Amino acid sequence: MAHHEQEDQCSSTGTITQKIQYPLDPSSYKILDQIGVGVSAIVYKAICIPMDSTVVAIKAIDLDQSRTDLDSIRRETKTMSLLSHPNILNAHCSFSVDSRLWVVMPFMSCGSLQSIISSCFPDGLPEPCIAIVLKETLSALSYLHNQGHLHRDVKAGNILIDSDGSVKLADFGVSASIYEPSHHHHHGSAMITDMAGTPYWMAPEVIRSHTGYSFKADIWSFGITALELAHGRPPLSHLPPEKSLLMKMTQRFRFSDYEKTLKIKDKNKKFSRAFKDMVASCLDQDPSKRPSAEKLMKHSFFKNCNKGVEVFVKNVLHGLRSVEERFKESRKHVGVEHHEDEEFEVGSSPPVKQRRISGWNFNEEGFELDPVFPFFTTESREDSDSVVKQVRFGGETIIPPDRIKKQSESDTNSEESNLGTQLAVHHQAAESDQSSEVVGAFDNETVLGGLMALRRSLDEERQQVSNMIALLGGEISREDQLMQIVERLKMELETERRKNFELEMELEFLKHQISGADNSGGTD
Amino acid sequence: MKGLFKSKPRTPVDIVRQTRDLIIYANRSADVRESKREDKMAELCKNIRELKSILYGNSESEPVSEACAQLTAEFFRENTLRLLITCLPKLNLEARKDATQVVANLQRQQVHSKLIASDYLEANIDLLDILIAGYENTDMALHYGAMLRECIRHQSVARYVLESQHMKKFFDYIQLPNFDIAADAAATFKELLTRHKSTVAEFLSKNYNWFFAEYNSKLLESSNYITRRQAVKLLGDILLDRSNSVVMTRYVSSRENLRILMNLLRESSKSIQIEAFHVFKLFAANQNKPPDIVSILVANRSKLLRLFADFKTDKEDEQFEADKAQVVKEIAGLEPRDRP
Repeated sequence: MAHHEQEDQCSSTGTITQKIQYPLDPSSYKILDQIGVGVSAIVYKAICIPMDSTVVAIKAIDLDQSRTDLDSIRRETKTMSLLSHPNILNAHCSFSVDSRLWVVMPFMSCGSLQSIISSCFPDGLPEPCIAIVLKETLSALSYLHNQGHLHRDVKAGNILIDSDGSVKLADFGVSASIYEPSHHHHHGSAMITDMAGTPYWMAPEVIRSHTGYSFKADIWSFGITALELAHGRPPLSHLPPEKSLLMKMTQRFRFSDYEKTLKIKDKNKKFSRAFKDMVASCLDQDPSKRPSAEKLMKHSFFKNCNKGVEVFVKNVLHGLRSVEERFKESRKHVGVEHHEDEEFEVGSSPPVKQRRISGWNFNEEGFELDPVFPFFTTESREDSDSVVKQVRFGGETIIPPDRIKKQSESDTNSEESNLGTQLAVHHQAAESDQSSEVVGAFDNETVLGGLMALRRSLDEERQQVSNMIALLGGEISREDQLMQIVERLKMELETERRKNFELEMELEFLKHQISGADNSGGTD
Repeated sequence: MKGLFKSKPRTPVDIVRQTRDLIIYANRSADVRESKREDKMAELCKNIRELKSILYGNSESEPVSEACAQLTAEFFRENTLRLLITCLPKLNLEARKDATQVVANLQRQQVHSKLIASDYLEANIDLLDILIAGYENTDMALHYGAMLRECIRHQSVARYVLESQHMKKFFDYIQLPNFDIAADAAATFKELLTRHKSTVAEFLSKNYNWFFAEYNSKLLESSNYITRRQAVKLLGDILLDRSNSVVMTRYVSSRENLRILMNLLRESSKSIQIEAFHVFKLFAANQNKPPDIVSILVANRSKLLRLFADFKTDKEDEQFEADKAQVVKEIAGLEPRDRP
């Protein structure tokens, strides 16, 4: 009779926990500090005066500026208030203050993992700590998925840490429910097809959005988050997110990037097989082959993190500056760094549509992610040593690492070292079987030859890129562009005409009024 | 060993029956031992979850329509829905959410190509009173609200709510300080006033006076930004719907309504301005403007034209530009009435 099954969420307690009701008026709160800022929201640290001055975080969303409509904001706050899990950040309450919505939440004093990494662990967290936070995050995801919710924006910036080491997944700004009638109705199955999330973390099937978004896309983002924690930044993050990845590809030619990737390559040796295997399973191209959150929790990588949070608190949180200080610090650099928002619990940036890569390959050895450009892989196979092949992200260069090391040793204090190596790289690539000692002594001829080769390859590259863009329908031809300009100018002209007309009408009207006033003045 | 005691799998009908029995038990069992009661409650929660996974499927399987139909038939054969709704406050959060999803799903299930939920609700229409009153209970509001929105998918149920005294209460629910609840009530209100066209048109014609008096004073002139913004948007949706053309004509002939809309046009909020324009344009486009409307428009002509001159949407919107041009033309061309 009695079904005492394991892990049954609802039988764990039959009792009802009454939610403490936080006051619903702004005067009950005193704002202390700003701790985060996003596209249309500001996050404050505040105290709730009538609740024994409990510290809270208040996310103030500007509804008038916010691009998302009220309905999606309603869905977000409703989701937040109906979820109950130790690893999920709940809202205490929300209420409107003029054209802002205040969402009152528990204050997580250490801020997001992203802010912790960027201020203290630029090269990533130690593996045992990663295991601890990821396991907690996974527990939240598993709960969320069991509830029929997708998070859709899993990343270190949305994983918040409290001073006692507790971990909470936050920001349901773009979350969706597969039980939500509107979606269910349209698609019949549990798929959601609109774009959401932050580009670097987005799963391939989300980028190719027609196949829809399901739980497994959250697993992908979880895998990317693991890489983010391991390397201190998400893969590809040296590229700005707004523009198409394809266009930025050409910028990958710079040598300076290789140094970074080299460092990462050296570090990779430290990562355990279990970790690599766990991440690889999340980053499978085929969503159906990725494990569910529940299954992933049983992965051997998470076996040993029962030692608990002490390790984490001691190694990561100890001596950490306060979240408000770190926020102020990060503000100073705003504008210098690229556009990624250093956010803490803040509404995600508007979804960016990116459809131009066909997929990602997880390079398990390199522990990095390589995007797939099918055009390249087929086109450039025959001249596999050509420069084109360097256009691979994720730090795998075609030049064997030992050669690069040699290079960097040889031009230690050359003034033109940067230029020299850069040229040499291309030169080598163009004529790959030439000696690798070109760098040390280069003469005009070599430089010229190198430059010519570089120009050739750049031209080819440009041609290929535009071919590809045309192929993917991503960009319009020059003719179309001109047409558009003409069209726009026409529109502007039309608007000017209309304005002119309106002004004339108004003038007419004013004249009329004056004469009317005169007339009435006359009769009086 | 374990196989010996394994009972044969329960059918959907079994699960519904057992759920019903457990709810009856939960509803009357103030006197039993606490531990026993807790066991029963846990079992009830588990049953509700099973109902949910039959209706929605789970990670392993898609829902089976035959099983869903059996479940639905049994559910409405007896009074299970009433029991579940009244028992909801006794359940924990997870079970409440499961129950809400079960109730939502049942509204769409067909048995012999009939929505039997609709028949059941018609015969038990007082359940709607319980659901609506849920907005006054912070803990239950979101659950009952979600159920309510699913129930008013049935036209007869929506008609009942529209014609009931509850309709007046929505004007207050929409403005509750708790955003989640207020927004949920607003979503229900919108659904009631837009879903079933003929019923809505009939309701608005019959209740024009009190409804729009409340709408104007409580919603469009509310001090709450969200209320104003949602209300002016919904007003546009209602008036622009072809089925409400009679109501629309009446609305845009009122000087008082025009005054309110012109005030909304002047708001500092861009979103409200734009939504207000979509209603205002109807006043201007009306080919049979009453004299007092004309005189207001004429008196404010230069101000309006100046306002529209730099009135733009964030994104380029051809329809909006066209509407605006039309309105400008209409207002510019108005002849002042002959002076008395």
